[in-house]
Amino acid sequence: MEVTLKVFRFNPDVDKKWRYETYKLEADPTDRVLDLLERVKGYTDGSLAFRRSCAHGVCGSDALRINGKNSLACKALVRDYGEKITVEPIMGLKVIKDLIVDMKPFFDNYKKILPFFINDSPLPADGKERRQSIEQRERFDDTTKCILCACCTTSCPSFWASDDYLGPAAMVTAHRFIFDSRDESASERLHILSETSGIARCHTVFNCTMACPREIQITKAIGELKLAMVTGNLE
Amino acid sequence: MKRTLPISKRGLNFETIMWFFTRLSALAMYGFIIIGMIGALVMGARMNMNFADVMRWAFMSNSTHVQSTNIPDIAPWANAFWRLVASGFLLVASAHGVHGLVVIADDYLVKPLQRNVVRLLSIVMLVSIGLIGLYVIWTA
Repeated sequence: MEVTLKVFRFNPDVDKKWRYETYKLEADPTDRVLDLLERVKGYTDGSLAFRRSCAHGVCGSDALRINGKNSLACKALVRDYGEKITVEPIMGLKVIKDLIVDMKPFFDNYKKILPFFINDSPLPADGKERRQSIEQRERFDDTTKCILCACCTTSCPSFWASDDYLGPAAMVTAHRFIFDSRDESASERLHILSETSGIARCHTVFNCTMACPREIQITKAIGELKLAMVTGNLE
Repeated sequence: MKRTLPISKRGLNFETIMWFFTRLSALAMYGFIIIGMIGALVMGARMNMNFADVMRWAFMSNSTHVQSTNIPDIAPWANAFWRLVASGFLLVASAHGVHGLVVIADDYLVKPLQRNVVRLLSIVMLVSIGLIGLYVIWTA
C-alpha cells in the first residue's frame, strides 16, 4: 500500500517557523511507523531528526504524536493508521529539532517524586532480604511497567498548560513506591503530591490512560493516590 | 501489619482539603436539590407548577421564585427552614464553583504572585456573592 507520511519539521538553525513535509512511501500494513521514519531518514532526507533506541517498545525513546494520538512509533502499525499518517512531536515540551523534544521538564518532575526505594530500617534478622507476599507485590504491579516514554504526561491538558505540574508519569512512580510494603517514604511522597503543582492538578481527563503504550491504568492509580491522601490507607 | 498513615503525615494541606471539599459539596448539592424537589411536590408542584418553576425552587427555595405559579398560598413557604435550605445551597454551590475557577486558573498560572492575586479576587467574589445572596434570601 502507498502511505502518505506527513512529518512535522523544524530546524532552529534554519527555520523561523515549523512546517510539515510530506513523503510518499510503499509500506506493508504490518510495517511500523518507526520503519517509515527510518526509511525517510535513510533514503530520502538524512536531516530528519527523531529519537529511537531499542525499537521494541521497551526503552520509551520514540514517543510521538501519530495522527493526533500519543504512541510509540515502534509499536504503531501502519494498518492501524491507514494511508495518511501524520507524525508530530509530543506536546507540552519544547521542540529541539523535528520530532525531538526537550525532556528536561519531564524528568525534573520525575525526580521530584523520589523515584527510588527508601528503607532505612535494619535488615531482617537473617540479614538477607525484605520479604513481601505475592499479594503485597501485586498491589503495585501495574505501575512497575512504566518505561518513562512521556506519552501520558504529554497527553495531559494540565501539563500542556504548565510543565510545572508533576504529571501522570511521576504519579505512576509515586504509586509504585507508596504502595510498596517495603518502602518507608510514603509520607514524604504524599507531601510532594499534595503541593499546588501536584495531584490537585489532575482533573481525571483519562488521556494518560488512553495514551499509555504499556496499558497502565494511570487514572486509576492516581485515584488510589488521592484516596490514600484522604484515608491514609496504603494497603 | 496494616499500613496506615496518620492525618499529620499525609500532606493534608489546602489543595487536598479543597479537593475533598469539592467532592463532598457536589454530593451536598444533590441533597439540597432533592430536598427542594420534594418540597415543591409537597407544595403542589404536580398540578400548579411547570418544570421551570420546579427547577427554580429546587435550586433556590426562595418564595419569589415561584410567585407566578398557581400555588394558592406561597407565604407559609417563606419560612426559616426553606431560607436555611436556600442559604445552604447558595454557600455550598458558590464555594464549589469559585474553587473550580481557582483550580482552572492554577492550571495556567504558575507564579505564586499570580496565584495569590487570583485567589484573593476569588475570595472577594465568593464573599460578595454570599452576602448579596443571603440578603436576597432573608429579605425577600
